[in-house]
Amino acid sequence: MTRVLADAFLAIAMVVQVASCLGVLVMRNGYQRLHYAAAATTIGPVAVAAAVVTQQQLAEPGVKAIITAVVLLTGGALLTHATGRAARVSEHGRWVVLDAEVEAAS
Amino acid sequence: MNGWFVAAIALLVGIVPLLVVAGTADVVSRLVALEVAGVQGSLTLVCLAQAFDRSVYTDLGLVLAVLSVVTGLTYARFLERYL
Repeated sequence: MTRVLADAFLAIAMVVQVASCLGVLVMRNGYQRLHYAAAATTIGPVAVAAAVVTQQQLAEPGVKAIITAVVLLTGGALLTHATGRAARVSEHGRWVVLDAEVEAAS
Repeated sequence: MNGWFVAAIALLVGIVPLLVVAGTADVVSRLVALEVAGVQGSLTLVCLAQAFDRSVYTDLGLVLAVLSVVTGLTYARFLERYL
């Protein structure tokens, strides 16, 4: 039962990670690709950590896998925002909302 | 070959599209591909640790996760200022 559960978590992680990588390949620009990068840092790491904990309980590998998942989760959110901001600043010279974007949103 | 090996191989195969993006796309997309490749590598090491029953590989995965976050932030800052 434990092994089946671990394999199920691994299957989820594999599908999500490979789909995220293919999404990064298929999308047209950096902003669109960031969505898939964010997906790759949320579901996959949690699923892998869950698989390790399922099999090893909270022994040393399980704890390390949890820490790795937490680092990837928090770091992924940071990286997604930092990369999006950097792309925006690189494109427009500063961190600014354009008038045309305000009009389009309203 | 158990599930951990299969997962590690699948995660490694996932790096191939990222290499294509890193080699052909614009600079922001290359940075995104680098960040995702760091996640893939880290998860691959965690899976290999289980496959080979060597917990030291999990340490490598953890170190790679931390370093890939720091590296990504550094490149993002560099992109924001200079590219």
